[in-house]
Amino acid sequence: MDILVNDQPREIPADWADETLLDVLREALGLTGTKFGCGVGICGACTVHVDGQATRACITPVSEVAGRSVRTIEGLAQGDRLHPVQQAWLDHAVPQCGYCQAGQIMTAVAFLDSVPAPTPDQITTAMDANLCRCGTYQRIKAAILAAAQVQP
Amino acid sequence: MKRRAFLGLAGGGLVAVLGAGAAVYSQAPVFPKRPEPDLETAMGWIALRDGRHTLTLPRIEMGQNIATALKQVACAELGQDWDAVDLVLHDSDAPRVRATVGSESVMLFAEPLAQACAALRDAAAAGQTEGLVQVEERPRETLRAFKAGGLIGASPALAQGREIVTGAPLFVADTAGGAQRFGRVLRAPVTPEIASHPARWNLAAARAVPGFVAVVEDCGPPIGKAHGLGIVADRPGALNKIADALDIKWDIADPHPAPDIEPAIDVDKHLDAGPLPHAVLDDDPGTGPWDVDMRIDLPLAAHGPIEPRAAVADWADGRLVVRAGSQDVFYVRDVLADALSVNADAITVTSCRVGGAFGGKTLCTVEAEAAALALAIGGRVKVQWTRAQEFALGFHRPPSSHRIRARMTDGQITAWDHAHVSSHILFTAAGVPAWLQRVTDQVAGDGGVARGMAAPYQLGKARAAYDAVRLPVFTGPWRGLGAGQNALAIESAMDEAARQAGADPLAFRLRHIPDPRLSAALAQVGKIADWGTSAPSVPGFRAGRGIACGIYKNTSYAAAVADVLVDPAGYCQVTRLWCVHDCGLVINPDQVRAQCEGNLVWGIGMVLTDALPVTDGRVTAETFADAPLPRMSDMPEITIDLIDGKGPISGAGETAIVAGPGAVANAVLAATGIRPTRFPLSPDQFVA
Repeated sequence: MDILVNDQPREIPADWADETLLDVLREALGLTGTKFGCGVGICGACTVHVDGQATRACITPVSEVAGRSVRTIEGLAQGDRLHPVQQAWLDHAVPQCGYCQAGQIMTAVAFLDSVPAPTPDQITTAMDANLCRCGTYQRIKAAILAAAQVQP
Repeated sequence: MKRRAFLGLAGGGLVAVLGAGAAVYSQAPVFPKRPEPDLETAMGWIALRDGRHTLTLPRIEMGQNIATALKQVACAELGQDWDAVDLVLHDSDAPRVRATVGSESVMLFAEPLAQACAALRDAAAAGQTEGLVQVEERPRETLRAFKAGGLIGASPALAQGREIVTGAPLFVADTAGGAQRFGRVLRAPVTPEIASHPARWNLAAARAVPGFVAVVEDCGPPIGKAHGLGIVADRPGALNKIADALDIKWDIADPHPAPDIEPAIDVDKHLDAGPLPHAVLDDDPGTGPWDVDMRIDLPLAAHGPIEPRAAVADWADGRLVVRAGSQDVFYVRDVLADALSVNADAITVTSCRVGGAFGGKTLCTVEAEAAALALAIGGRVKVQWTRAQEFALGFHRPPSSHRIRARMTDGQITAWDHAHVSSHILFTAAGVPAWLQRVTDQVAGDGGVARGMAAPYQLGKARAAYDAVRLPVFTGPWRGLGAGQNALAIESAMDEAARQAGADPLAFRLRHIPDPRLSAALAQVGKIADWGTSAPSVPGFRAGRGIACGIYKNTSYAAAVADVLVDPAGYCQVTRLWCVHDCGLVINPDQVRAQCEGNLVWGIGMVLTDALPVTDGRVTAETFADAPLPRMSDMPEITIDLIDGKGPISGAGETAIVAGPGAVANAVLAATGIRPTRFPLSPDQFVA
């Protein structure tokens, strides 16, 4: 089985075919930026893009993404140049512990791809299923508003 | 002057001694050691090699962004640019530092670090390039790190910020690749307060699961009294299948004799039986009648860090190396040595960035599981708890039940009686067996339950007393220990007293506050929130504004104002928050603000969401659907104002939790006329 991960074709070992996309990314491919938080698709820490759509990797069997394109937090920057959402996260010093932030960023990027100039309320609706226990929500919202100004 | 080394510090060549791996675990718990950070322990925090400085962070980084603040101190004192100092996290081979708890990191660690940096700077300037540096303690006022300007009072790029936003490996479970296997220790579906053991299991069925590696009976010490059965697999997804295939039959001791939590801590039942045993304030307020007589109750609640705890353990060449996401790697090392009968010198526990802890990652649990499984299979094993394990096996914010009474004369409180029944925090049942807890109850009480019970007001004849009851579920340290819950009770009672006196709640507090820094914070929040005006009204909703304030650990100050809207069905939404915060000299104002924001979100959670369901004496929550966290849609706009601190440095990580919850609860009263007394709020109490 092959999937395209961050624009690179990656072969999934046959004995990993029953695993979740999250475990394959983290443990078979070593892409540990995507996090395990709840295992049932509630918290959003495992959010990646599958064909551009924000997707919960912890409840997605890897077999479902065979032949499709997966983007993870590691594949967001172009070389040393951060994606505007990543840069906005740094400019607003969003992360506290940082564990949920890869999922937050991936959700935000997919959202801005579909709604390039969102209102604050649209941001809240789009981000409401990504949990952050540290309480960085106000900065997340501010960062998304700022990133929307500089979308590539 | 003592001699201290900073340069050329070498790791000791210590002899590893493997014990017999006895499966009988010691009955006496290992207690964490809490050495004062001083110049002696600062040895090795800062080093200069080949023209570059390395800061070995003497704290756990868990989201307080202490790496950034202490790097600011180091850079300022060294006179080095931000990018000229490399950051590394510490491991247990370094000189011991106390657990990262209690908002102490800048308060207690900045000065020894600055002293070390000053000595290193001067030695390097004098031409020294290798060897040891003599440190002479210099007057604090000569240190550059405690003068505002440059990096002090600035907000440079977050240490590890770029790694976080690019997904670089920082957290314990991010160890990947190599011959790594995946483990879990299965435990009975009962509270760990009840003894349980695996009795029988279907090994043949488990072996048939693709990816099966091992079933491990000697899988580390029990969690509480819950003895487990370990499993190891080649792939993480195989663990659930192996667990199902094993179909373990458990030996479970008799049910807990008092599985219901609420009656066990019911403050009025305790008061009926006599005075509470532990006094924080011990004047005699006399008996009724009272002008204020109210009850406040909060349930068990989960820390809910998004990172479930994890550990990666590796045995190689007779040494055990554990990567940990713990708040105290030295304590983890000590427990592992005791539990596995291994010489502590043969164990290294490495700290990783922690994905949220809030007091909940202070014991050794998953680390011992990973170490035991790694020992059993002779290789590297990663264990990360499931979310359900986090709820079932972790300890939690204790439920608490308060009775507060106040008597007034001419609008001034002249008698006060605060009774509080909760469960243990510092002497958590998760680490302290019942027989030993009876001793600590006798000789020490529990300072965690007591924290914040001494109200920051002049209250005349004031009594504050508490009791801690061992419950069927595990309770322990949580953000602010008991301070948030105590402050919510106190601030609710102060608000009620102001109303009874017909006084403005802000003015009423001011005339009871003896500490000018708290008065200043309270007056300031009134100013920025335009206190005296009403919360903006919205058709169809009831609007209200509330205020509260407090002092955390006698050193840090916060005051907050909240606006809420309550809909006809009784749902509350916090629509605006203002907070004024004074923690003395501020190293990094943006990150102090971030800590305030986080605490205010926790305050919203305390009032509106935080509860962990318990059935038949056992935590039954399995997902965040059962124990919800505040979401972005629960957030108001937040304004933080930092008082430009002239005072000594104090903590910021837990302070605002003493102000936020009370402000929200008092705003709900202002909006609805109904006093919130049971948290989290149930909408049916506030139906229009």
